[in-house]
Amino acid sequence: MRHGTINRIPITLRVALAVGILMIVLGMVASQQVLRSLSRLHDDRLREIARLHVEGLSVALGPLVLHKDVWEVYDTLDRARVASDGQRMLFTVVADDRNRVLAATDPLRAPVDSDATPFSENASDLSGLTASGNAPQVRVRAPLLVAGRIVGQIVSEIDVGDLVAERQRITLYLLLANAGATSLLVFAGYFLVARMLKPVTLLAQHMDNAGGAPSRIPESEIPKSDTELARLLRTFNTMMGAIDARTEAERRLAERERFVSLGRLSSSLAHEINNPLGGLLNTVDTIRTYASRPEVVQKSVDLLERGLVHLKDVSQAILEENRLDRAGLPLQPMDFDDLKLLFEPEAAQKGQRLEWDVRADTDNLSYLPAAPVRQIILNLLLNASAAAPEGGNISLSVQSSDNDSVELTITDDGMGLSTQDLDRLMSSAPVAPGGGVGLRLVHDLVGGLGGHILHTTGAGRTSLAVILPKGKTA
Amino acid sequence: MKRRELIAAIAASTVLSSPSVLRAEQLFRLALTPVFLDNDAVVIARLRDALSEGMGRDIDLVQRRTYQEITGALLDGSVDAAWVCGYPFLQHRAQLNLLGVPVWRGQPRYQSYLIASVADMAASLEDLRGGMHAFSDPDSNSGFLVTASDLARMGETPDTYFARTIFTWGHRNVVRAVAGGLVRSGSVDGYVWETLAEVEPDLVARTRIVAKSEWLGFPPFAARTDRMADADVSSLQNALLSMDQTDAGRAALDLLFLDEIAEPDIRLFDGIASRMSVLEQAG
Repeated sequence: MRHGTINRIPITLRVALAVGILMIVLGMVASQQVLRSLSRLHDDRLREIARLHVEGLSVALGPLVLHKDVWEVYDTLDRARVASDGQRMLFTVVADDRNRVLAATDPLRAPVDSDATPFSENASDLSGLTASGNAPQVRVRAPLLVAGRIVGQIVSEIDVGDLVAERQRITLYLLLANAGATSLLVFAGYFLVARMLKPVTLLAQHMDNAGGAPSRIPESEIPKSDTELARLLRTFNTMMGAIDARTEAERRLAERERFVSLGRLSSSLAHEINNPLGGLLNTVDTIRTYASRPEVVQKSVDLLERGLVHLKDVSQAILEENRLDRAGLPLQPMDFDDLKLLFEPEAAQKGQRLEWDVRADTDNLSYLPAAPVRQIILNLLLNASAAAPEGGNISLSVQSSDNDSVELTITDDGMGLSTQDLDRLMSSAPVAPGGGVGLRLVHDLVGGLGGHILHTTGAGRTSLAVILPKGKTA
Repeated sequence: MKRRELIAAIAASTVLSSPSVLRAEQLFRLALTPVFLDNDAVVIARLRDALSEGMGRDIDLVQRRTYQEITGALLDGSVDAAWVCGYPFLQHRAQLNLLGVPVWRGQPRYQSYLIASVADMAASLEDLRGGMHAFSDPDSNSGFLVTASDLARMGETPDTYFARTIFTWGHRNVVRAVAGGLVRSGSVDGYVWETLAEVEPDLVARTRIVAKSEWLGFPPFAARTDRMADADVSSLQNALLSMDQTDAGRAALDLLFLDEIAEPDIRLFDGIASRMSVLEQAG
């Protein structure tokens, strides 16, 4: 889920964010190093200060502590305190070898002869002294040596408030500087990346235009330099050209399909025309032979007229099917009569029985365009006729259901559709090589009308139902 | 001593033609007890200027850490004269003679003060039992003898009466020890305390007087009895007694908060003598 969210962020923003995160990490690492160095510097300084203080006092105090001279110890501490007034040393206590207080800079806090343990127990040695805590004062202890012998110890409280404050101040500055530098780099990164990725953005825009269809990128918008991105854009344009060419080829193929289906009917249609012609010629002979007999002539002329009207209807249907300018005409019940006229001879030739059940009136049909619907029905009928055996059954049923769609059902009792044919008819997947384009054309035409196809088999019959919504294209 | 003789011998052998230079090498040496002024270079300089002028020759002012060292130096001749405490003077009464006694606030006497921290509620020595106590010097009258003899009258000694006693080797240090809280109470020279109250009011303000002793003889100037006839010693005595009559002398006395140096009277020290006898009887 989160991954998806990240993927939805534009790449320019993502790169800027990545730069920002990297900068923050870098800033934190760098700050950490600076603070660590600063801390080490402070500790060294503090240790040096403490060492000087303690060593100076140790030299002076050693013999006095050895003799447990309370006054001299106090006097030394007191003068050291006055001398360092306002400096680091806050409090110092000196204890003897039994850790009893000999004297302190503040005797009220550490009375003479009291236990010095509370002062020494949480004090650090000189080497372990550090100002890295946040406490404004630290405590250091050191042994007092006379001739290599420990005679007591000294514990001092050292003011490190300024060091702590300095570190806090520097931490704040580092934080602010890092934040500033990071945001600057994030913005700079954003603009830089946005600029560098402009061709990609352009490509994305043209690949997924408002209408959802890809479009060519104008040559003027392609960067002049021959970078890989510019090449990418040109390649995209080339691909777009190829796609356009293919679409055009498909369109022309679909155009031809009409002639193909008509061509498939040509043989039976020729018979349809040829068969009556023989009878009509006989009728002409009859008229010529019995020209003096008006009743025979009258009867023959009627016969001749019926035959010619039929021929006129057939040729009219063929012309109708072949007309290129019917694109905008609405579907009418008459169109089904044309289809029946065109298809009947084909079925008859194979001895197939045709059930024709059109139960839709002009009101319902006129919402649909005539040309694609005729093409759909003719192709499916031809397909059914090819699938059904000699003397089989084919049926067409047209129904208007729920007043919002028209259902065309073509049924046959053939072997059923092959997997390949079903793929052609039901899916948009690329067409496998070989085989005709008739079923794929049906699929595309139905899709274009916003309809869908239902395929059912049962009781030895294959049924294809095309459901076309009304009012989609009228 | 030997070193001085050696230096003198060398000087004599090399600069024989100039006796005045030789005299200049042998400075007159006056020792000072560690009273309040022991750390004030200006006071020392003014006093030396005044006495040098009064004697008509350069003198050297010698300071030591303890009273005992001063007394010892005076007795063994290392110094020609000394400003001592009445207590060691009486201890060596047989060998020493008075040259003059300073007059402070109109009389040649002073008191010993028993002091405590300003916040301490003690009303007398009795209330200070079991605390820590600071003495100035075991040879000091005001800084030891007075309190020790008071305790002797009570049948006590400082070590039994107080939890711990310390010697600070100076009256000003007693005030510091009490003011800083190192000890609960201290025995101090009243003259030093009063003078410090003028000079270092912040320090003294942190102490209060628990008790004052009777008036006792002010620390006198003294010299060895066998040297009293020396011209140098007489010259010093004259310079001391006439200090209030010269500008330099007045300047020094003002800094010391003293009126003048008066003719000595041994009866001034009867009070100290009686306290000494109390301590001796107790001991």
